[in-house]
Amino acid sequence: MEIKSGMFDAIDIAVSGLRAHGKHMEVISSNVANARTTNVDNTGRPYRRLDVEFKSIDDGIGEVQIGDIFEDTSPFEKIPASPGDPRADADGNITMPNVSMPAELINLNLASRAYQANAAMLRRYQKMVETSLELIK
Amino acid sequence: MAINFNPAINSVSPVPIGGPQAAPQPEGKTNFLKIAGDSLKKVDDKQHDANSSIVDLLAGKNDDINSVVASVAKADMSFKLLVGVRNKLVEAYKETMKMQI
Repeated sequence: MEIKSGMFDAIDIAVSGLRAHGKHMEVISSNVANARTTNVDNTGRPYRRLDVEFKSIDDGIGEVQIGDIFEDTSPFEKIPASPGDPRADADGNITMPNVSMPAELINLNLASRAYQANAAMLRRYQKMVETSLELIK
Repeated sequence: MAINFNPAINSVSPVPIGGPQAAPQPEGKTNFLKIAGDSLKKVDDKQHDANSSIVDLLAGKNDDINSVVASVAKADMSFKLLVGVRNKLVEAYKETMKMQI
């Protein structure tokens, strides 16, 4: 494994973490906002929950990226419709998105903790460099 | 009263003024001013990067706050390093000036 040394590598890596987990937060936000969306882009299809894949650019020390944002293919939930509901199918049910609110809120916690952890890395690294600079005073 | 010098004092021979120091600089050696100027320019570039990324953010041209954080952190760190080295240099200069001749 190639090890390059740079004063700013840790900053770049921490910022890539901030960026990736910020994007994850965006995906979770989309899931929560569309938790009751039954008509995606006028197709009449309910919203499918989205998930993200994190990937690193090269093996060894490196930055993180969002590799892919993909759809969760788990089955949709069906709830009984009230009479006259235009969304109801032949059996009188409405197909709702496969978003589970509690799971999304747990993911939200994970994403925001990961974001905070990367911010803490950035801050602590800056402090470490300052400690080294104290030595040449 | 007889004063006895240390006999070793006789072996000290005077160094001609401007002797080894005044020799012409050999080829391939970078001089100090060039190194200092180059690193100063690097720090200055980082400061300019940070400044323009903040201006872009405020003007709405760029909405990625993370790249602003990165460039500001880098500029801050390199500026602190520059200030540390500069203080050390000034200190060394003062020490030299205080030297008894």
